[in-house]
Amino acid sequence: MASIRVDDHELEVEEGRTLLQALDDAGLLMNGVDVPHYCWHPKLAIDGSCRLCQVEIEGFPKLQIACNTPVKDGMVVRTQTEAVRRAREGVMELLLINHPLDCPICDQAGECKLQDYAFEYGVGQSRTREPRRALKKSVDLGPTIVFDQERCILCRRCVRFCREVPKTGELGVFNRGDQSVIETFPGSELDNPYSMNVADICPVGALTTKDFRFKIRVWFLEDVPGVCTGCAAGCNVWLGTANNKVYRYVPRRNDAVNETWICDHGRMTYQQIGSADRIAHPALRGEDGILRAASLDDALAEAAARLRRVLDATGPGALGVVASPHASNEDLAVLRSLVDALAVEGAALAVRQGDSDEILVQAEKAANATGARALGFGDPAALLERLRGGALEALLVLGHDLLDPALLGEGDALDGVGSVILLDSHHSPLERAAHVVLPTRHAAEKFGTLTNHAGRVQRVRPAVEPAWAAWSEGELLARLGAALGLPDFDGKFDPRAVSRALGERAPAFDGVDWDSVGDEGLPLKQGGA
Amino acid sequence: MVISEDTRAAIEREIGKYPQRRGALLPALHLVQQEHGFVSPDSMRELAGIFELLPVEVMEVVHFYNMFHDRPRGRHQVHVCTNLPCSLRGARGLMRQLESHLGIHAGETTADGRISLGHEECLGACAYAPMLRIGETYHENLDAEQAKRLLDGLE
Amino acid sequence: MGLTVPYVTSYLSEHFADDAYATLDGYRARGGYEAAQQALRTSPEDLIELVKESGLQGRGGAGFSTGLKWSFMPTDGGKPKYLVCNADESEPGSFKDRILLERAPHKVLEGILIGAWATGSEKTFIYVRGEYAFPARQLQRAVDEAYAAGILGAKVLGSDFAHDVVIMRGAGAYICGEETGLLESLEGRKGQPRKKPPFPAQYGAFGMPSTVNNVETFCHVPHIVANGSEWFRGFGTEKSPGTTIFGVSGHVVRPGLYELPLGTPLEEIVFEHAQGVPNGRTVKGVIPGGMSMPILPASQLDVPMANEHLRERKTMLGTGGVMVMDETTCMVRAGCVITYFFRDESCGQCTQCREGTGWLHKIMERIERGAGTPDDLDILLDVAGKMEGQTICAFADAAAWPVQGLMRHFREDFEEHVRQRKCPFPESFEL
Repeated sequence: MASIRVDDHELEVEEGRTLLQALDDAGLLMNGVDVPHYCWHPKLAIDGSCRLCQVEIEGFPKLQIACNTPVKDGMVVRTQTEAVRRAREGVMELLLINHPLDCPICDQAGECKLQDYAFEYGVGQSRTREPRRALKKSVDLGPTIVFDQERCILCRRCVRFCREVPKTGELGVFNRGDQSVIETFPGSELDNPYSMNVADICPVGALTTKDFRFKIRVWFLEDVPGVCTGCAAGCNVWLGTANNKVYRYVPRRNDAVNETWICDHGRMTYQQIGSADRIAHPALRGEDGILRAASLDDALAEAAARLRRVLDATGPGALGVVASPHASNEDLAVLRSLVDALAVEGAALAVRQGDSDEILVQAEKAANATGARALGFGDPAALLERLRGGALEALLVLGHDLLDPALLGEGDALDGVGSVILLDSHHSPLERAAHVVLPTRHAAEKFGTLTNHAGRVQRVRPAVEPAWAAWSEGELLARLGAALGLPDFDGKFDPRAVSRALGERAPAFDGVDWDSVGDEGLPLKQGGA
Repeated sequence: MVISEDTRAAIEREIGKYPQRRGALLPALHLVQQEHGFVSPDSMRELAGIFELLPVEVMEVVHFYNMFHDRPRGRHQVHVCTNLPCSLRGARGLMRQLESHLGIHAGETTADGRISLGHEECLGACAYAPMLRIGETYHENLDAEQAKRLLDGLE
Repeated sequence: MGLTVPYVTSYLSEHFADDAYATLDGYRARGGYEAAQQALRTSPEDLIELVKESGLQGRGGAGFSTGLKWSFMPTDGGKPKYLVCNADESEPGSFKDRILLERAPHKVLEGILIGAWATGSEKTFIYVRGEYAFPARQLQRAVDEAYAAGILGAKVLGSDFAHDVVIMRGAGAYICGEETGLLESLEGRKGQPRKKPPFPAQYGAFGMPSTVNNVETFCHVPHIVANGSEWFRGFGTEKSPGTTIFGVSGHVVRPGLYELPLGTPLEEIVFEHAQGVPNGRTVKGVIPGGMSMPILPASQLDVPMANEHLRERKTMLGTGGVMVMDETTCMVRAGCVITYFFRDESCGQCTQCREGTGWLHKIMERIERGAGTPDDLDILLDVAGKMEGQTICAFADAAAWPVQGLMRHFREDFEEHVRQRKCPFPESFEL
């Protein structure tokens, strides 16, 4: 460790780190110690070219860039001196001489580091009379990104990102000097599973996603911390919300999970929150075989009646339970209680599988499969065998991951089951077999915790309120338990109270609950399930 | 395959001189340009294969150096040094005369594809100005008439 | 094709009139490679000490002590070490390395061999600027001869020391003369200078400890080894020993190369050796050390050409390229050519350099067109100030200094342009 002083802060920092890294490690960068920077990014190779992060270091005759200067024991650094101020002013003025003044129509306005730093560190007025550099506008870089070459300040974060993270390296800096431009190789596109991250790391409005472009000014967005539900990685995101609608996900830094990235597929799953295929009301299948809207009370009563009939006539062995990996740990704890109270055996978990990669993407396409397993929901093979063998008279199923080709495929095997109670958030072919449908909430619409593939428990909270009828699985199951007249079920569901009690049900959750995990999560005890 | 077997063999020989393959990229680009007169995107792709690089990395290098071209040029590359020592001794006037003699501007190629004319930065012939470079050969201490005759003599 | 030999010669160039000097036989006939033989019998530590004592300063522009630079190379074995010869001479006004490569390639190789032994380097990469086709051929021929004669290869001059030399040609980028830009180019990349740390002596060519020296610097070394440091100090000034080959260009009667001791007064070079300004005109200004060094006005030509004296006049020796401008010269036009060059050659990494070089050039052009305003002059200086000392390499300084020099000594030229709304120098060189 090395002891350094930065302004008024005495710091113990790791040897071998550079000054900016050390400040970032300490959580002080732009959060107590202002060292503005463009080219430096905590998760990319050091470039050292924007020159904005220059600071004064005792013993050095010239200013030094904080991004590339290794810390040394006893180093004394000043970040707010007159020389530093002048250097920043110089960089800002020089960056702005060729930057278009189109902030009113620029999508980055409001979260633009050029705007922010110009305000903080700039000179306040333009002295240039020369025409600005004319370059390409609205370049279609590929399926996801649009590029405005004139706005680019050549920090080259995007170039490094493509080479270092997805390792696809689509972007390059061509020509030199003030003719330098970022482009792709002729005839090729910026097209990789992480491409949209370049828009996040672009400090200006040069790279924007086609998806978010011109949708809403960012200052109307409220950012709510949450977790991506696209797969088991559990990437941390900010949900950009306004008008009770989620407009985008952007990655939220969590060095233990997703660093500062998110895959494109996951990013786009925000669209599932308010999508047109949400199940918007409880439904009951009538005598005529048609599924019709019903009140929640009627739907719950019908579900309870159907379950009770099977339990009374044949016993719990005829009831199958399938847990959803999309439900929260708290929801699943209630399911666990219900299953135990009903003495149902072999309650299983169905998880849809898909592609994975070495970076973030996990094969399990759900946010909480690990949590479900930690709560005792296991492999569905035996359950499916009983189902196919006609041994099940009733099925309580959460979500529709059963439709995975490796499990039920189209779901025809359900046709012979006398009672199917479905709790789900989105329409699917599973509804064809359902007798009772109860609409559930998305993770962005409730309090709860999710356990990612590595056993890290992370929390979600309501970012939006569904404009239709939907309840968390925990609440629906609590009410169902009450309707079934089960002891200990009073029909109430307090997710944070359930969260605190998780440890009683599964020791891995001991001390790991909604409140204690904070916004960056905590690992399950002993690595989880 | 656009890069010939001979050139590939020569590139491999260059690679052998360096501790890392990539060290031979500039020599390889010179060799490819010798063969084709320029370095096409197809050549860049093939070089990327040879050097285990991304095509875009090869292209960055091609674009960085003045002597590499990514599109066809005239049969003869005529470069007039217009840096200060040469300008002090009339290089700009020489350039103007050659432009009107060839009927093109600096940076252009004659319609018959014979000559590409260009400015160049200091070529290290400051005492022998004005001067020009045709391909690899320097011609120094020129006046306009000598320079025109030189160009007229190019096939 | 070949350059004319220097009009004034000293130890470096005394045999340059002899074509055979470029061949191994001719070089050996004049005592060539005897110094290398002698060096191989001397310990590397003693050699480095000798070069330090000689006071030899790098002749590539920065003027850093060669012996000191060599001493930075690690001696703990382990990694292979490389020597790099910077033959990327591209500084406008400089053409001395070209003649050394053309006329004395074996002298370059001999200096390299001594440096290689002193620094324990197993290989030397000679990076020759792409446009120097003929010098590169001369050098390649010399390298081939040296291999055939056992001067290079597994047993250098019969010793147990092994050394290889690889010649690599650049492809047209001034910035590759900057030592880490050169290293990047050598590795097959864009010639963008590296941020430091690490320094080349720790992490140089291909990641190995390396030392980069200029062509002329290497050429002095055999003479120092053969004659001793005291002999070397007999030339030049106390702080700047030895000779250098000055290249004189521009408005002089006899432009060319002159090998003279450091400390020779600039006026002696311009008026005696280069025989002054033609057509009965007078000198207006002289750039003393290649285009990146600030200009001096006619009144300051008494300055001895050594850094300790030039620094007092706020300029430097650089590469010893002396550019003379007569009384007709428009200094704004000179500024246009200079700033265009740096704009064209900036590698584009650092903000101040990429944007500043372009801005300086645009302002210069506007002033020359007669569209300048009084505050443009201050902006020129302010922008130059914002570029200086702020970037990865010294290129931005090299772009800023000449502008500062022009404004320091010829501000009235700029003011006249603004006042008259046109260029007031109709007789000046064409732009």
